[in-house]
Amino acid sequence: MNTHSDMQAGQDTALPGPTTSKTRLVVNGTERVLEVDNRTTLLDALREHLRLTGTKKGCDHGQCGACTCFVNGQRVNSCLSLAVMHDGDEITTIEGLGTPEDMDPLQAAFVAHDGFQCGYCTPGQICSAKATLEELRAGIPSHVTKDLLANPPLSPEEIKERMSGNICRCGAYANILEAVLDVAEAR
Amino acid sequence: MSYLAPETLEQALSALADPGPMRLVAGGTDVFPALGDRPLRGGLIDLTRVAEMKGIAARDGGWRIGGAVTWREILKTDLPPCFDGLKAAAREVGSVQIQAAGTLAGNLCNASPAADGIPALLALDAEVELASRDGTRRLPLADFVTGVRQTALRPGEILSALHIPVQPEGARSSFLKLGSRRYLVISIVMVSAVLWCRDGRIAGARIAVGAASPVARRLPALEAALTGLAPEALGAVTTPDHLAPLQPIGDVRGSADYRRAAVAELCDRALRKALHG
Repeated sequence: MNTHSDMQAGQDTALPGPTTSKTRLVVNGTERVLEVDNRTTLLDALREHLRLTGTKKGCDHGQCGACTCFVNGQRVNSCLSLAVMHDGDEITTIEGLGTPEDMDPLQAAFVAHDGFQCGYCTPGQICSAKATLEELRAGIPSHVTKDLLANPPLSPEEIKERMSGNICRCGAYANILEAVLDVAEAR
Repeated sequence: MSYLAPETLEQALSALADPGPMRLVAGGTDVFPALGDRPLRGGLIDLTRVAEMKGIAARDGGWRIGGAVTWREILKTDLPPCFDGLKAAAREVGSVQIQAAGTLAGNLCNASPAADGIPALLALDAEVELASRDGTRRLPLADFVTGVRQTALRPGEILSALHIPVQPEGARSSFLKLGSRRYLVISIVMVSAVLWCRDGRIAGARIAVGAASPVARRLPALEAALTGLAPEALGAVTTPDHLAPLQPIGDVRGSADYRRAAVAELCDRALRKALHG
């Protein structure tokens, strides 16, 4: 996949220079200033420093999607990113989408359709579902979009493809799809 | 671990020249998983804020794609049909979350034999722009990736951009990937084709195959065999001779024979897809 790797790396020598950074994140609309070890992932900063434990650590390798949250409106795997790389960025987590008293329509639909079993992947699923609906509305094509110039349809096929970066080991996929379709069709 | 987020290429290059192991990172989608349980050490240079590495710009009939451009940005950019193959690759790299962070340049520097971006960029005849404190050089992509996880990147150099040259008029393209599933999967083989027609005949083609040799390869014999063919006659054109540049291996994803058979079929399908959509 994708990064600049580097030919000189690999030595264990410590370098001079600060190993921590003051990082300003705007999390769910509130400015938070953190002093973090530079190696801290965005996921760990959210969970361990800000105690926003809704964002889950599944594989910690970018494969399961449990840590999905929004950075400047785009969904990313927060485990594959360092907190210091997001100085000044706007982060939205599951806690920013809704509360038990005032749920986002997707959260309500997951409850109504029983879109989970253990619930561990659910925050990531809901963040990806939110992004899926926004990406469909913005006309961004997916792998299964036939006509790249027309708006993609709100079809089960499109939703399944766009939700494919989130794995549910309980296998609640059928109900997750129903929940997302429900909200998609209500709009 | 020290962390630097330079905002200009000059700052990035001087940071890279500092003594000690400095690692370059953009999307991080290869660097961080490759660490396993080891902590990051040394220094990290974050290239995502470097101004000269941002954005996609049309110039001299071709295009410059900045080294920090993500797969998602490729998908969102209005580009001519010769980029359809690259866009198809962009839709199949990792997952949507990965596509939002991972960069094309990182895909090249990581130099995996199964890098999804390399066949599509080879078929577009892409060049890489390598910046150093001594100046900038350009290399054809085929000369940049030299082996499994090996590139021609020298110490002190940064892959600052990709250049796509002007494409023949009416060039169309495609990309097909074979995996055990569609997403979050390492490719078994993949093929990208760019071709163009004149007076009802195929006037030229570039075809590149990934994951069937240490480095993705073009298939010159197949490209030559296509020239002059009528598009309607395009059935099973790929023969075993055309695949001579490939050296597929057998591994957990497929045997060498399976890969050869799959490449031949994918080449035919990719050509038809480029021609007929």
